[in-house]
Amino acid sequence: MQVREYLIRRLMILPLLVIGTSIIVFTLTRVGGSPIGIYLSHEMSQEEVAEIEARYHLDDPLPVQYLYWAGGVLRGDLGWSGISAGPVTQVMPDKIAASLELAVAAGIVAVTLGVGLGTFAGARRNRLPDHIARIFSISGASMPTFWFAIILLIVFWVYLGWFPVGRSTTALFTSIEHPTGLYTVDALLAGNLRAFGDALWHLVLPAVTLGYGATAIIARMMRSSLVEELQEDYVDAARAKGLAERVVLKRHARRNALIPTVTVIGLSFGFLLQGSVVTEIIFQWPGMGRWMADAVLRGDQATIMAYVLFTSVLFLGVNLVVDIVYAYLDRRVVLGD
Amino acid sequence: MVDIPHKLPAVAPSTESALRVRLRRVRELSASVLANPTTVLGFVLIVAMISMAVFAPLITEANTPDPYQMPRDWGALNEPPGTDGFLLGTTNTGGDVFYGVVWGARTSLRLSLIVVGITVLVGVLVGSVAGFRGGKFDEILMRLVDVFLSIPELIFALAIAAVLGPSFGNIILALAVVFWVKYARIMRAQVLHVKANEYVDSARIIGDSGWNIYRRDVFPNAITPIIVQATMDMGHIVLVGATLSFIGLAEAGLAEWGVLVSEGQAGISAGRWWASTFPGLMVFLWALAFNLVGDGLRDVLDPRTETAR
Repeated sequence: MQVREYLIRRLMILPLLVIGTSIIVFTLTRVGGSPIGIYLSHEMSQEEVAEIEARYHLDDPLPVQYLYWAGGVLRGDLGWSGISAGPVTQVMPDKIAASLELAVAAGIVAVTLGVGLGTFAGARRNRLPDHIARIFSISGASMPTFWFAIILLIVFWVYLGWFPVGRSTTALFTSIEHPTGLYTVDALLAGNLRAFGDALWHLVLPAVTLGYGATAIIARMMRSSLVEELQEDYVDAARAKGLAERVVLKRHARRNALIPTVTVIGLSFGFLLQGSVVTEIIFQWPGMGRWMADAVLRGDQATIMAYVLFTSVLFLGVNLVVDIVYAYLDRRVVLGD
Repeated sequence: MVDIPHKLPAVAPSTESALRVRLRRVRELSASVLANPTTVLGFVLIVAMISMAVFAPLITEANTPDPYQMPRDWGALNEPPGTDGFLLGTTNTGGDVFYGVVWGARTSLRLSLIVVGITVLVGVLVGSVAGFRGGKFDEILMRLVDVFLSIPELIFALAIAAVLGPSFGNIILALAVVFWVKYARIMRAQVLHVKANEYVDSARIIGDSGWNIYRRDVFPNAITPIIVQATMDMGHIVLVGATLSFIGLAEAGLAEWGVLVSEGQAGISAGRWWASTFPGLMVFLWALAFNLVGDGLRDVLDPRTETAR
């Protein structure tokens, strides 16, 4: 019961936090300068400029401007994206699809590799594989994503020529319909295996880049919680029953060790969001992260605000889901009242 | 009825002076920190890189008028490593990669010292007041912390740096704005934790002033996790700062690792790997070194939160 109440409270606070974040960022961007530049051209007279200023409420005090922005958001209007030359809400779905596809691929890499590596190391505590896994994990936290990406590019694109950059081969891209914007899914829907392979091929390097940091964190957590679980009495009991070590490890210890790991998996989602900016820049991936970087460099406030809004809602939402999953997995949390 | 002992158990009065006790404690601590080989490796790396930063003018001749600007030799574009006079090669605009690597260490040291210094100071101050006094101030701080935590730090710093305009000084400012909250949160939690101890109650009962209690009993017992976090952040800040300048938020031509990696990026499709590889490696080693030492410090100073055992 307590858990449910806690979660409901969290759900109610979530919009407040999003509002708080958007107020801070909105204030900062407006203090940095008026976004009027994207509406102006050289031939305009003073009166025309003033008229535009009035039309977009740029001459109002800051809190009023914020209310106009927030009102727009509620009506589904996020403003005009100068860098994409279109309304934000029209440009955004494609960008989200591109980022989503990359993030899911990176997540799959991180969770399978992380849990696998952590289990492997934890079951061989203080032996060579464990030490190697430790070095790998610590380097993960210190690895600049932008550098890792470039090293992968140098090795696998420039020298070996195994993987491409970008998101797809143009000829294959135009040969199929794109109802979802997720190229792998689109290719499957069209029944075009060559396009599917191509989309997957383009995903490998960016997904590995983006997933690396999270892999390291997950592996480290998995290893230490597995080591802890393996010292529990129930593991001895399972062994005494005569169960194979493989079964003890996979069915018993690993299951429990996954509980704290789930939290870390959720937390490493923040890594994916942050890493996506640099990863998308380097691999020329047309997603949200690269869009934000462009917007930042060219002072496109509507795009920056849309990105911040999107990110904070997603980030808070994922954290909430993690808490729910955690409460669900660890029955003690629910029963312990 | 509880038997009250007539005599309190005798504690042998220490024959050592306070200073010697403290010195002995420091010796013991450093011995246990240095017992871990990976921590020693971290220390060696840190010493090497800080020496590089400090002695940069002796290692390479400082560029004039601004030594933090990359020198350009327009007659030596895209030279591979090992070319006469260019140990690590040059970029496509004739920037000396070795110069950037060495002076980049100085830029990074400056960045991390300033940001960690400011954020620790502000965070400890705010966190202490919130935890020690409680009340309205604490309430406001915690709500602020919630808001700051609702967006990943790099994204937040990116948005702020964007507003301030592209310059390395603004990257420093943006990082300071984002990172102090973390310290305030840790310090507040620590102060609350320490405040619940009996020795703080006893100090209050014998009539110590609030400031004395804070100074003598609370602060020294609360500061350890801050030291560990600050050590790791010395590395982490450089990582985030280099990421921001890689994206393009620092001045072009600055002798900084992220800027240099970005400059070298143009050449990699033509097989010119060196201009990005070396400065990026420096960012990695810098962050790695402080992470290793921070990890080692945590094992010794703060065994409760130890993760890897």
